[in-house]
Amino acid sequence: MASMGTPAVVMDNGTGLTKLGFAGNDSPSFVFPTAIATSSASGKATKSTTSKNSFLSSKRGLEDLDFYIGDEALSASAGPNYNLSYPVKHGQIENWDHMERLWEQSIFKYLRCEPEDHYFLLTEPPLNPPENRENTAEIMFESFNCAGLYIAVQAVLALAASWTSSKVQDRSLTGTVIDSGDGVTHVIPVAEGYVIGTAIKNIPLAGRDITSFIQSLLRDRGEPDTSLQTAEEIKQQFCYVCPDIVKEFSKFDNYPEEKFAQYIVEYADRNKRNVVDVGYERFLAPEIFFNPEIFSSDYLTPLPTVVDQVIQASPIDVRKKLYKNIVLSGGSTMFKDFGRRLQRDLKSLVNERISLSEQLSGVKSTGVEVQVISHKRQRNAVWFGGSLLAQTSEFKSYCYTKQDYDEYGPSIVRNFSLFSVP
Amino acid sequence: MLQIEQNNLLIKKTFTEKVFPKDESSSKSLDRIVTDFDFTTYHLSTLNDNKDLILFSIYLKFWNDLVKYGVESYLTEKYEKFDGPVTILPKSDVEMNYNYSLVVDLSQLQGADEETKQNLIEELSFLKRHCMAAPFEKAFARYDELAQTYANSNTYSEEIQAELQKEDILTINYRGSDESIYIKPSFDRVTVIFSTLFKDETDKIFGKVFLQEFVDARKRSVQTAPQVLYSHSEPPLDIQKAVRNTGDDNKGYVTFVLFPRHLVKGDRRDNCISHIQFFRNYFHYHIKCSKAYMHSRMRFRVKEFLKILNRAKPENVDEEGKSIETKKTASGRRFDIGRV
Amino acid sequence: MSQSLKPYLTAVRSSLTAAICLEDFSSQVIERHNRPEIEVDNSHNPELILNPMVIARNENEKILIEPSINSVRISIKIKQADEIEQILVHKFTRFLTSRAENFFILRRVPIKGYDISFLVTNIHTEQMLKDKLVDFIIEFMEDVDKEISEMKLFLNARARVIAEAYLTPFD
Repeated sequence: MASMGTPAVVMDNGTGLTKLGFAGNDSPSFVFPTAIATSSASGKATKSTTSKNSFLSSKRGLEDLDFYIGDEALSASAGPNYNLSYPVKHGQIENWDHMERLWEQSIFKYLRCEPEDHYFLLTEPPLNPPENRENTAEIMFESFNCAGLYIAVQAVLALAASWTSSKVQDRSLTGTVIDSGDGVTHVIPVAEGYVIGTAIKNIPLAGRDITSFIQSLLRDRGEPDTSLQTAEEIKQQFCYVCPDIVKEFSKFDNYPEEKFAQYIVEYADRNKRNVVDVGYERFLAPEIFFNPEIFSSDYLTPLPTVVDQVIQASPIDVRKKLYKNIVLSGGSTMFKDFGRRLQRDLKSLVNERISLSEQLSGVKSTGVEVQVISHKRQRNAVWFGGSLLAQTSEFKSYCYTKQDYDEYGPSIVRNFSLFSVP
Repeated sequence: MLQIEQNNLLIKKTFTEKVFPKDESSSKSLDRIVTDFDFTTYHLSTLNDNKDLILFSIYLKFWNDLVKYGVESYLTEKYEKFDGPVTILPKSDVEMNYNYSLVVDLSQLQGADEETKQNLIEELSFLKRHCMAAPFEKAFARYDELAQTYANSNTYSEEIQAELQKEDILTINYRGSDESIYIKPSFDRVTVIFSTLFKDETDKIFGKVFLQEFVDARKRSVQTAPQVLYSHSEPPLDIQKAVRNTGDDNKGYVTFVLFPRHLVKGDRRDNCISHIQFFRNYFHYHIKCSKAYMHSRMRFRVKEFLKILNRAKPENVDEEGKSIETKKTASGRRFDIGRV
Repeated sequence: MSQSLKPYLTAVRSSLTAAICLEDFSSQVIERHNRPEIEVDNSHNPELILNPMVIARNENEKILIEPSINSVRISIKIKQADEIEQILVHKFTRFLTSRAENFFILRRVPIKGYDISFLVTNIHTEQMLKDKLVDFIIEFMEDVDKEISEMKLFLNARARVIAEAYLTPFD
């Protein structure tokens, strides 16, 4: 590796979590909340826009260096002197001042690299306005003089990450990506590396909702500990997707000792502990993706239907490929058998339609293959895909360098050439 | 963050996870690349047959320079005390493409007390610092010698001056051939000269402003600090014979003159070494921070300008950029000013 | 405000007010075109271009106003006393021009010899208040100078703090 020069830096700044690391590694070196705690002396001044002079004068000192990011930000903001803010909202960067400083510390404190020596791969959500790309490039090149930059769409990287799965034979960049993080779930169709923007759909159910659903179930039963943290732990340790709720309920009733579990809550205070029973929420919680009505009254379309709609809204010539390559990404797709259930439900939807059209037209269909791909790297799929692509020897030729930027200006980053499949 | 930390956070984190395992996940195998400024690359990996053995290798671009100045024995001295848990691999076994390898045996650490473990992690995260420190140590040792030799002689005599002139200059091309550190010991001082390259016009000018303040700081407030000199594009006389391609307009030379008070053996000397070797990183980090701050200022200013410009629009935009409803007359009719 | 600045700005203000007197005007050369005449090569119909004027406070600070029948081009040379101010002005104007679409009247490329150019057309004066446009240019000129000198001060102050912070731990 060393002979190839410095490894590229891969940074994936999501709404909730930031993943930082180097290309070639199998997991991000740092995963922390995309949060920044700035000293409130300067924060106050920005809020009161009336006193613009105080904003400028208060910044004479070192306030702009006095900040923390990630987990340190969370703990710093507990004190009185720091204000916490999240510069990324809905996947897009909202506060550039904060983002620039977040990157500054990511690079110099956490990754410890001289940006002049490294190429960078950043990610962006689908449908990111080109102005945002330009702003990103302006920061990366003008402030940090980074050697080269590539901005990739998250969904495309998630597709690339799925190449590690044994189910994938051809390494194509066509497929449907189901990206479910903490805040929102996106269903994104990608054809040969290009996102089909018109067909993207969002589902307002994701990890946070599952956690709060578990929490409410725990509260209903009157468990001794119903904190959000406990619910989160239960979600991660015990939940799975069942093939059929009714049957699963009866399984629980018939074999309680096998199915019911207990979660022991430990506290900082070693002597104190609580035992929380874990019951139906084990399979009910992830079920909100497939039967949203058990959790929400305003969003009622199950995930498989959404996926079907998305693919049906895509151009007809790629639909078969989209059905064949459905890729999961993000922490909330990690439940056991999530992929299997999705595949089954989607398949039945598709088969229904096929048999209907066969009936109406009298022509035999060749059938549509539905395949959902789960793999080991799902949790940080986007980052991992980035790492995979950035370690290839061609990566640098796809990047724009500082020289390119100086010559053409920020608008150069509006277009990046796509990775050809190695 | 004002100072750049001297140890590597990520290495510390990785080893902490390994040495103090929390759950199953930390006993997994490991294969990770880590960087640490100036083209330094570490590679942390568990050995195939035994997950308790971690191979820890470092690659430095200027390793060959360091070898000349006895880095290997210096590192041995640093890590010898952890003999047992830490094995220094002989030259022939060093990982391919890397310069120096250690093997950390976690199983041997299990019995150790908390403090030893912490100590070990700490020292491992300082690996780059220790590598860089070797030539400094050597130069400082030479200074000790010279100080001894000339303690009682007339150091102003021409012969001795000529002798001192001939003193070898230690050169470390710490970032390839373009940027180097030159160290020249003498009997009453050690001169450390950094050459640094500015990749960007803005950096060059910001750098000049910064360095001017470095030069002035000693006169003004920090009297006990080393003397700093700065010259642009032309190398200082001391090292002229050691410098190849001179006269590059993007190059700057920063000279630190360390006086005996900075070279007192023990903690102060160690501290001095760790501090001075991070000069370039510190310097360029702050140039970048200033540019980042300039950006935030300019963003603010652009917003202000837009507010002023938007006042010219008759849709009545208020200070915040939100539109106020068009004013109405008493009878409820609107003025449609300026609409075409 | 220094002594010569006020008369300078007053002169600029009245000249601008006089110059921004624009009307809709169709191209005489190409049918159904309507272009800012100041930007077009007007060797055929010189009657559309008025006499350009330069107002200078000193050789480093001046403004060029080029009026025509339907457009005015205003180019400003910002004070640059030394290398630092030069680079700061360069950075700042580039930052502004890369956001030109928000600024309606900002020209993406300045006229040669000047740092930043504005182009006001009759469309702008129809949609925006003329006095306020003039106000904007004047405030811009004031604020840019202020901003540049503040940035320079910041840079020096920062450099000092940084230098001291680095040199102190040696002892």
